[in-house]
Amino acid sequence: MRSFTTLSSKWTALLIIAALCYLFTPAVSVKHENFKTCDQSGFCKRNRQYADKATALGSQWEAPYRITPESLSWKNGQLQGTILKTINKQGETVRLPITISFLESGSARVTIDEEKRQKGEIELRHDSKARKERYNEAQSWAIVGGLDVSKSATEERDASRSIVKYGPEGKFQAVVTFAPFGIDFKRDDITQIKFNDRGLANLDHWRPKVDKPEPEKKEGEDAPAETPVAETGEDESTWWDETFGGNTDSKAKGPESVAIDITFPGYEHVFGIPEHAGSLPLKETRQSSGNHQDPYRLYNADVFEYIMDSPMTLYGSIPFMQAHKKDSTVGVFWLNAAEMWIDVIKEKEAHNPLSLGIGSKTDTKTHWFSESGLIDVFVFLGPTAKEVTKAYGELTGYTQLPQEFSIAYHQCRWNYNTDEDVKDVDRKMSKHQIPYDVIWLDIEYTDDKQYFTWDPLQFPNPTGMLEQLDQSERKLVAIIDPHIKNKDGYHIVEELKKKDLAVHNKDGNIYEGWCWPGSSHWVDCFNPAAIKWWISLFKYDAFKGSASNLFIWNDMNEPSVFNGPETTMPKDNLHHGNWEHRDVHNINGMTFHNATYQAMLERKKGEIRRPFVLTRSFYAGSQRLGAMWTGDNQASWDHLAAGFPMILNNGIAGFPFAGADVGGFFGNPEKDLLTRWYQAGAFYPFFRGHAHIDTRRREPYLIGEPYTPIITQALRLRYALLPAWYTAFHEASVDGTPIIRPHYFVYPGDEAGFDLDDQFFVGSTGLLAKPVVTEKAESVDIYLPDDEIYYDYFDYEKYTGQGKVTVPAPLEKIPLLMQGGHIIPRKDRPRRSSGLMKWDPYTLVIVLGKSGSATGELYVDDGETFDYQQGAYIHRTFEFSNGVLESKDIGTKGKLTDKYLKTMKSVGVEKLIIIGAPKEWAEKTSVKAGREEARLEYYAEEGKKAAWAVVKAPKVAIGENWKIEF
Amino acid sequence: MRRIETLVLLSTFTTGILAAESSRPRGVSPEFAKFYKDPNVFTCISNPSITLTPSQINDEYCDCPDGSDEPGTAACTYLSALSPPQPISGTPNTTLALPGYYCKNKGHIPSYVPHSYVNDGVCDYELCCDGSDEWAGVGGTKCEDRCKEIGREWKRLDDLRQKAARTAAKRRMELVGEAQALRAGVEIKIGRLETEIRELERKAADLKIRYEEVERRERGRVVKSAGGKGSKVTVLAGLARARVEELREALVGVVGKRDALRKRVKELEGILATFKEEYNPNFNDEGVKRAVKSWEDYAANKKEEDVSAEDRDLEEISKPDSESEGINWAEWETGDEESDVDALYKFEEYLPAPVRTWVHQKLTDLRILLIENGILADNANSGSESKAVTDARNAYQTVNDDVGIKQTSLGDLKNDLEKEYGPDDIFRALKGTCVSKDSGEYEYELCWMDQTKQKSKKGGGHTGMGNFVRFDKTTVDEEIGADGKGLGSGERMVLMYENGQHCWNGPNRQTTVVLACAEKDEIWKVVEQEKCMYRMDVGTPAACDKEKKSGGGEKKDEL
Repeated sequence: MRSFTTLSSKWTALLIIAALCYLFTPAVSVKHENFKTCDQSGFCKRNRQYADKATALGSQWEAPYRITPESLSWKNGQLQGTILKTINKQGETVRLPITISFLESGSARVTIDEEKRQKGEIELRHDSKARKERYNEAQSWAIVGGLDVSKSATEERDASRSIVKYGPEGKFQAVVTFAPFGIDFKRDDITQIKFNDRGLANLDHWRPKVDKPEPEKKEGEDAPAETPVAETGEDESTWWDETFGGNTDSKAKGPESVAIDITFPGYEHVFGIPEHAGSLPLKETRQSSGNHQDPYRLYNADVFEYIMDSPMTLYGSIPFMQAHKKDSTVGVFWLNAAEMWIDVIKEKEAHNPLSLGIGSKTDTKTHWFSESGLIDVFVFLGPTAKEVTKAYGELTGYTQLPQEFSIAYHQCRWNYNTDEDVKDVDRKMSKHQIPYDVIWLDIEYTDDKQYFTWDPLQFPNPTGMLEQLDQSERKLVAIIDPHIKNKDGYHIVEELKKKDLAVHNKDGNIYEGWCWPGSSHWVDCFNPAAIKWWISLFKYDAFKGSASNLFIWNDMNEPSVFNGPETTMPKDNLHHGNWEHRDVHNINGMTFHNATYQAMLERKKGEIRRPFVLTRSFYAGSQRLGAMWTGDNQASWDHLAAGFPMILNNGIAGFPFAGADVGGFFGNPEKDLLTRWYQAGAFYPFFRGHAHIDTRRREPYLIGEPYTPIITQALRLRYALLPAWYTAFHEASVDGTPIIRPHYFVYPGDEAGFDLDDQFFVGSTGLLAKPVVTEKAESVDIYLPDDEIYYDYFDYEKYTGQGKVTVPAPLEKIPLLMQGGHIIPRKDRPRRSSGLMKWDPYTLVIVLGKSGSATGELYVDDGETFDYQQGAYIHRTFEFSNGVLESKDIGTKGKLTDKYLKTMKSVGVEKLIIIGAPKEWAEKTSVKAGREEARLEYYAEEGKKAAWAVVKAPKVAIGENWKIEF
Repeated sequence: MRRIETLVLLSTFTTGILAAESSRPRGVSPEFAKFYKDPNVFTCISNPSITLTPSQINDEYCDCPDGSDEPGTAACTYLSALSPPQPISGTPNTTLALPGYYCKNKGHIPSYVPHSYVNDGVCDYELCCDGSDEWAGVGGTKCEDRCKEIGREWKRLDDLRQKAARTAAKRRMELVGEAQALRAGVEIKIGRLETEIRELERKAADLKIRYEEVERRERGRVVKSAGGKGSKVTVLAGLARARVEELREALVGVVGKRDALRKRVKELEGILATFKEEYNPNFNDEGVKRAVKSWEDYAANKKEEDVSAEDRDLEEISKPDSESEGINWAEWETGDEESDVDALYKFEEYLPAPVRTWVHQKLTDLRILLIENGILADNANSGSESKAVTDARNAYQTVNDDVGIKQTSLGDLKNDLEKEYGPDDIFRALKGTCVSKDSGEYEYELCWMDQTKQKSKKGGGHTGMGNFVRFDKTTVDEEIGADGKGLGSGERMVLMYENGQHCWNGPNRQTTVVLACAEKDEIWKVVEQEKCMYRMDVGTPAACDKEKKSGGGEKKDEL
């Protein structure tokens, strides 16, 4: 009976919602309706109005923020002082402490708080238990280093401004103007970034709610006294509470948004601030047609069937933006976890109307606003994208060096139905000689959506399943989400409640919402005690049926709450330390991901392994914890095309271990689409095929001729190039360089390449790929950024000359070029999994450029432990010049180096392929490899196909120094 | 299964070539030994133009475009149409000369293991019980020879398989016998029925003639109707009028209610249509999904009929009667007319007696004629029929019905005889019997030549997974378990079950029942290959080969 009541009330609700939707939507996309537009988000609307007002007044606009010079002090690379905000015509002010820190790394940080809130001198409405301060702990989640202040920075001050010289060789400058408040950041005396140039800085100071008298009083007092507040004329409607989609946010702290404008003078391109489904270069958000109507939004959300080319929010957010112009990249990182929006406009500099083209410069003007928290912005002055990304990574951490298996192929589906089903797919992949490393289980493996359990009927023997997978070094990834089923007798939820580790609602009770399991609670991973508890749940003896080859997938951690506002939690929910959910929302996903990462480090005492945890929601810093994917995409060509811009954007924003669901999550892909998607997926740093529960099965062996062999080729291509991919991951793990790299990143001076986001370089290998993302393509145009020689990867056809070249791309072919001058490490022997390739010999592909020389790099380690931190790895450069190929050690010796090298002694190089081999080699039959001779075979140029040579079995070990003389 | 077939295949070669074994390079089977005999030179097997020194055999570098120089290593594995094409691998269509790495498996049966399994650090005992696939011991891998125990176990199971195969073959013969008996039974029944029907048809024909005679005779006898008095009609008209008025009012009320309900249905349909458009299937809420599905079915079955005509009629009817519209009651409540029959009889009365008889006869004949031609209403039906006619008709109809029934049975039996029951009519013996299997969340049931069903253990009724439609064939490539269960490789008989219960967001359920020979009827495995498209792997003696005993390797090799 009880269930019936629930059902019927749920039904009523559904019907009402449906009816409402029907009434108010003019037939456009349904999906938008669950999510706010700027107009529906109070502070967004207010800040845009503020900007409009300022813009309309032009030079007459007086920004009400100024620094009081007497408040300023300079100490230890920090400039501290107070900004006064004038809040009414009477000249009343509020005090906003500001700190500008100049860091040893060359980055600068501007932090602005509000004194009253900081000191707790405010009153909260509704007897709220929330903290009074502005949220100031984002740093403790996002930042892991790089905060050392500069010892060499110097400050000079006069009555109107303060000038700080800092950065490498003192080349950077911050010019802080007092009234109105503003900062210009300069490099080599040229202004790169301007804060508050447009005077849009805005901080909603605390104020008590003044209840206006009711318009109609009983006594008939007709003119109700006007409230004597300065904000007359301001729209208060969104200050005290906001309702959206039937949910009302109580806003106990009143309005508290923060905003500032950031201008990049002379920069026409801005990139970053993922996650959005759109182009790599960000578009304007406030101008005429062809642009976005709304600002880019960052408010992590489970967006159902997201649409293309849109600034609307998605599952994760990294508020880090890069601005790029010819030979210069700079960046800003807005450290704030609340809902935020970013307006972007571009303006041609007006003062030089006669100069066309080259002379005229474009400024990109951005406007950032968050609902709550601090203004806390890091400024990076480059001058290269690599330096900006590196500096950002010093703060938020670099990509975790992943388990090697995790960069191989993942076979996923919602759902593999039984343990036998999993074993069957495993056998069939082997049988069809299709390599894969990981098979995945979505939510249906659990007993009634209770995580840490297995469905006793469908998965009676998880151990047997894991054992079979382990035989060919394959792994299982199982999903574990943050919603914990609210059901009597479920030990996890009982502990969660007993230990009080869940998120609370605004009244301080355990929050209850709906997700996959129905009624659920959410573990609050902001709480150190919750993390500790979470860690305990993953021990092999606690999570029965788990084993060392089981890894974890964290989904729905935005968090997704089916019945919550915008499919997430109410903003007035309370987290550990009584921070409102509003303050921490965008970090929430990362805290859960972090807890799982911590848990996976050591599941058995002494067995410390690199975790692999996939997350859907993320924030700045999530790159330290695992991989992300672009969420629930669709089996359509436009979604295939959207993958690379999204992954590239994530990559330059410090989180390169990214991928899109191969095949498209929703819907059934046509066979050619699926095939093209595998060819594209072979270039995703995170490479996983996935499918919705209502789709047809699409494991690669089911697709049939000629598709299955073509897909297998793409998969084997990925596997052959794993040494190169792993080396690229290593590079990302030490300096944050993206794994797949957009053109502007590699060729910062080539303006023709700045907009490119459908072709890219793989690591430092010189591999230039442009996988086909359109239907029925027979060829693609690839843009060559320089006049180096490029060779088709598969047949060595030569392409030269800067500009576009047409490369054939029938269904079976991936447009992939090798840039001259590189050496690419490969392993060509197909095996069942990457783990079984460990002992296979390498093939080195030496791609000779115009100069006749080439270089390359290789990083190898055990691929699963942290022994590399003690030197258990091989890191080498290969250099070919003047007829000599040399392998040199570039690693740093550690405690475990010798031991590791010993185990790798038998792993050698089986062949060298030299592409663009000189004619003089035509008669050559052998080369000198160490003390021995190795055979050489030369193949002359044929038409457009380059000459090449192969050196057979040079018998040199991969971990040793050697020379091969040609 | 592949393994077993390979084993069988191999066993035929082994005899007699044993002598060459010792000199063969690693990984070469006796079948290919001859290519490796020359101590001075090696010629690539399918590329005779390429010659190598014997030291290049198994030197971990692939020299031959057909991979034949590396029978014992994984060096040539990249030569594959499944690998990315490269100039170095030559033409993409190269076929490899060797079927795999040859494991001698002394004490068991020799076998090929794919070259890509060689020296990868995994002891592939299933294929290579002697562990020789890991001869290099990469990363410290050690695979001891387990052929003795594996061979013993295999032999034990093989004996069981043999035994099972024999039982299966026997059982099959029994089934064939039963099927033949059943068929014979049907044939006998048909013969009997045909005789009976002939007999009955004759009888029916006689009775029909008799009945028609009696009826013809009786029909002419016109019974004078009781005749309605005018006053009664008037009374009736009055009553009818009141009643009609009452009904009319009720009708108007009902129409009003109907219109209101129609409006509400439309409104609800609107809500549901929107709901269907806008709900989030990703939430996978079964309740919502079911609701959407029911709505879809409802919407699909809803006929958009044009009710305007009906409405016009209703409107017409609803109007009050008057002289110009509906019934002119006034006319009925006053008038008193004679019926045509009365007039006719009155006319007769004025004629002289002899003429009267003649005319009467003629009129009766005419009347019969008119009735028979459908011109005049048959009075007999409205009035009471004479017992003689009733009896005659009953007698005829009983026999005639009996003929019909028997003919239907005969047709069924004849159809059944022509219907396909598989080879040797064997499923005739199984028809109507069922097997079931407990598998995870569901219990599955297969009824031969009837239907397939599933039943969730979590509750709910049976779900039809399809009804038998036809026999078919399919090619499979599956494992055979150690217990002999599994489809194996090759062409297998299929029973197709289609048009089961409709699936949410999918097709009607269907089941492909793939059969392989087994000792007894048993569902081995049920998989949902695609959404709501099931495959059942089923063992049954009915699927055993006619002559051969069964699939398993019957010839064992004692190496």
